[in-house]
Amino acid sequence: MEKLMIKVKISDLAILKGEGVLVTVGLGSCVGIALYDPESKIGGLAHILLPDSTQFKSSLNSFNPAKFADTAIPLLMEKMGKAGANRFSLKAKIAGGGQLFAFQKLGSSIGMKNVQAVKYYLNKYKIPIRGEDVGGFQGRTMRLYVNSGRVVINTVGGTEKIL
Amino acid sequence: MVKQQIDERKLDILKELANIGFGNAVTSLSQMLHEEKISMDVPSAELVYLQDVPELLGGAELPVAGVYIESHGGADLTILFVLSLDSSTNLILTLVPGLAGLNDQMGISVLIEVGNIMTNSYLNALSFMTGLLLIPSPPEIAVDMSGAIISTVIAEKCVLEDEVVLIKTTLKSMQKSIEGHILILPDNRALNTIFTLLGIR
Repeated sequence: MEKLMIKVKISDLAILKGEGVLVTVGLGSCVGIALYDPESKIGGLAHILLPDSTQFKSSLNSFNPAKFADTAIPLLMEKMGKAGANRFSLKAKIAGGGQLFAFQKLGSSIGMKNVQAVKYYLNKYKIPIRGEDVGGFQGRTMRLYVNSGRVVINTVGGTEKIL
Repeated sequence: MVKQQIDERKLDILKELANIGFGNAVTSLSQMLHEEKISMDVPSAELVYLQDVPELLGGAELPVAGVYIESHGGADLTILFVLSLDSSTNLILTLVPGLAGLNDQMGISVLIEVGNIMTNSYLNALSFMTGLLLIPSPPEIAVDMSGAIISTVIAEKCVLEDEVVLIKTTLKSMQKSIEGHILILPDNRALNTIFTLLGIR
């Protein structure tokens, strides 16, 4: 069994080094972003709610960067870098962005927008995506094992998926 | 922003409105279930951190059925009626014996309709008290982890604040072991509208 488990809540992020597991539960239209540096065995996990902060920043008097794809990714990179990760060897695995309700199937759902935004910013920061389980009509739970970089996805009534 | 506008007194008023509105919803559920006795907790109206919302219904990973309806018109409210899978099956079978619960498209339909009727009883009561015209959207259902359902609703509403007003109650039936939650997420404009109409500053 893993020694340490850190729970990442909605619009939150966390990093961990060496041993243990980062877990985020109940990804619906949200996207979980797991970044991993295999050399230093430093892992980071973010659970974003919305794709883009730029149009909202000014209207808020408190701002949580972990909530948005565009601000969570650089923040996670920065934290991992400070902990000793090599920015250039980071790999990404992503999950979530599902459409749970039927009305979301009409047009572009928030889940799809989240996935697009996450892919756009990972590409912008030159972080390769090494695995993904996105879209569909289900909620997911995502676990990142930091000793190996393995990501495990669970759904309600579904089989376990390893990324 | 929300914090400055909401104080204890306002939360108390929301609680009282919910007490009457949810009371109506529960009464209509009881009628649908052939006068089954249903108890309802005193509703709570709280300012909660967005991060904590998915955990509020007994764990984010818990599989549940959620019926989701929005009201438009006078005030935008998001209403979610949440039942555990066992409770969903019990509810469906009480209303239409012989269905295969949630594995049956008809069973899903029954659950949607129950959510619809309850929500409309709530909206009727709220409309009566405030004079607002409240138009419900067609109901939607999802069967999934409770955290995934709630966070999807929050994302769809594009909730930007870090804290939200959440009005909720728990209901329990006596004989058929049906246990569920009703959640209301009003947006900021809706809160302002309601308080202004009631003459509260």
